[in-house]
Order: sequence, then structure tokens, then C-alpha cells
Amino acid sequence: MAGAEKQSGREQNGRDAGSIRQRLDNLGEQLAEAKSRHAPVPGPEPQGQGAALGQALRLGIELVAGVAVGGFIGWWLDRFLGTAPFLMVVFLGLGAAAGIMNVVRTAKRMQADAQSVKDLPSVLDDDDD
Amino acid sequence: MIDAAYAAEGAEHGGGAAGGLPNPMHQFEIKRLIPFELFGFDASFTNSALFMLIAATLITLFTVYAMHSRALVPSRLQSVAELSYQFIANMVRDNVGTDGMKYFPFVFTLFMFVLTLNMLGMVPYSFTVTSHIIVTFALAAFIFLGVTLIGFWKHGAKFLKFFVPEGVPIVMLPLLVVIEVISYLTRPLSLSVRLFANMMAGHTMLKVFGAFVVALGFLGGWAPLAFMVAFTGLEILVAFLQAYVFAILTCIYLNDALHMHHH
Repeated sequence: MAGAEKQSGREQNGRDAGSIRQRLDNLGEQLAEAKSRHAPVPGPEPQGQGAALGQALRLGIELVAGVAVGGFIGWWLDRFLGTAPFLMVVFLGLGAAAGIMNVVRTAKRMQADAQSVKDLPSVLDDDDD
Repeated sequence: MIDAAYAAEGAEHGGGAAGGLPNPMHQFEIKRLIPFELFGFDASFTNSALFMLIAATLITLFTVYAMHSRALVPSRLQSVAELSYQFIANMVRDNVGTDGMKYFPFVFTLFMFVLTLNMLGMVPYSFTVTSHIIVTFALAAFIFLGVTLIGFWKHGAKFLKFFVPEGVPIVMLPLLVVIEVISYLTRPLSLSVRLFANMMAGHTMLKVFGAFVVALGFLGGWAPLAFMVAFTGLEILVAFLQAYVFAILTCIYLNDALHMHHH
């Protein structure tokens, strides 16, 4: 009698496990469906204008910093060597060159970052474009 | 004269002479809370120092309290602490490499400090420490000096090769080396100005539009108020983003010093 009870209990367990597994599968499907519904649409510019403005400001600061540092070095050397204003003029030019170089480097890094971000969703949603 | 005008305006508590609008720069004023002089230098305990102290205390309390249970299944607070750890650990690992993890405590401290200062600045009536260029410049100069010293310590005199671009004709070399050195020297300036300018511009803008709300009154004040709500959200994003940029640039500079990769 006890054995029969055990038997039925095991059956019960088996049936339960089966139904639980089925429910889990259903839940998984529903979850995946809900996730795909709520997934953000991968756009070309995920953060929009705020991020673009930030990047523009970054590049501007980079450019101005070059000129400012170059000018300061020139001014300081002039004061030190008594050659005003020649070195300041020269170093302003060099500073502008350094600023432009920094801008190009920063822009290259931004482009590489944007490229890697753009590549990521296309791998995830597996469409070929 | 400008100073005198500022002082006068500060004295009448931000009540401006300019058309009755309050002075939007009044919020950046440094106040001496405990006057104190050290060897002839003014080393008073100011509102700026107070907020730095608050930030340091908050970070310490947060990390210590959040991790005190060390549960395998983390509580919400513990997951926030773990997430911030992972966030910076991944940043250091991705940008500097595993041998850069030695410097993780520094980058983590830096990020949390700047982030907390920026976020504290978003609390009404508080003071934004990072909106003062001297603070951000001190941080950036410390990073710059530290990174340069690490570079020389790791590579010795070979670190000077960092300033010599490859594959350049020998005639152009002196010019390019000077430009490279200037470009290297702009780092602390651009690093500090970026953080300071973003924080100051945002907070000034908030104050200006806040004044518009009051000036336009109940009938017309709704438009600037709606803008302010949206702008506050943007400012919180900027506060986070600037802390992130500050930390990631520190990582990039560290990577340059450790591996001498040319950008």
C-alpha cells in the first residue's frame, strides 16, 4: 500500500516536473517575446543631440587647449629669454598645430567607438546590412 | 571694479542690479566657513571643502555599508556597489589591460569622487565643487604628473620615444617633436576644462531659467519650468557622463604611459 502510494507520488512528481518544464518553456517564450518588444531600436545615434553636443564641445576644447598651451609656453619662454614677441608667435602656431592634431586623434577615437557600437547590434539581431 | 560689483551683489544675497534677476553666478561663490591661516596662506575651511568632505564621507559610508553583509545573493545596495566596481574594473581592463589593474583603486576613487561631487551639485541649495576650474585642474594636474612619472618609471629614458612619431623624415622631426610635446602638455588643460565647463555651464543655465520662472510668474512661468525639468534630467546625465569621461581619459593616459601605444 505504501509502495503504491510511493508509485503514485512518483508519477505525480513526474507529471509535475513535466508540466513545470512546459510552463517554464512557455514563460521563456513569453519573456523572449516581451524582451524583443521592449528592446530599444538600434538607431544610428543612440543618445541623440545631447551626446553630439558633448562631442562637439570636446573637440572645441581640444583645439583651444592646444592654442592656449602653445601661447603660454611661448609667452613664458619670451619672458625668460627676453625675445618678446617672436617665440610667442611661433609657439602659438605650433600650439594650433598640436590642437588640430589632438582634434584629429580624438575624432578618430570617437569614430572607432561609434563603429564598435554600430557593429554590436547588427551582430545581435543578425540581419545582414 | 567687476570684483567690487560681485562683492556688492554677493552681499545683498544674489539680489542683482541687472533688471531684478538674481545673479546666476552667485551659486559658485566660495564662502569661508571656518577662517584659518597656515604660514600666511589662506587655508580656511570653505563650503567647497565641506562638500568634498561630504562626498568622501558618503562614498566611504556607501561602500562600507553596502558591502557589510557580503551576501552571495546581493541586496539592492550591495548590487549597486558591485556594479560600480565592475563598471570601473571593466573600464580599466578594457583600456589599460590586466597589468593596469594595479591602478584600479585610484581610478575607482577618482570616478566615485567626481561622480559624487557632480551629483551632490544637483541637490538644490548645495555647492558644485567641480564647477571650479582650480579643483578640476588640481585633479587633472595630479593625474598628468602621476601618469608621466609612471611612464618614466616603467620605461626610463625610452619614454621620450613617446614624443617621436614613427616614419617621419628626419628634417621634419624637430618640428613634430615640439608639436607632440605641446599636444601632450594640453592634456591636463583639456581634461580639467572639459569637466569644469560642463558643470558650470549647466548650473548657470539652470539658475538663469529658474530666474525666468520667477520673473514670468504664474502665467508665463510654465514654459521655462518645463524646460528646466527636462534640462535637470540632461544635467544628471551630464554629471554622470563627465565623471565617466574623466575616468576613461585617465585610463587612456595610463595606457599610453604603460604601453606607449600611440593613440
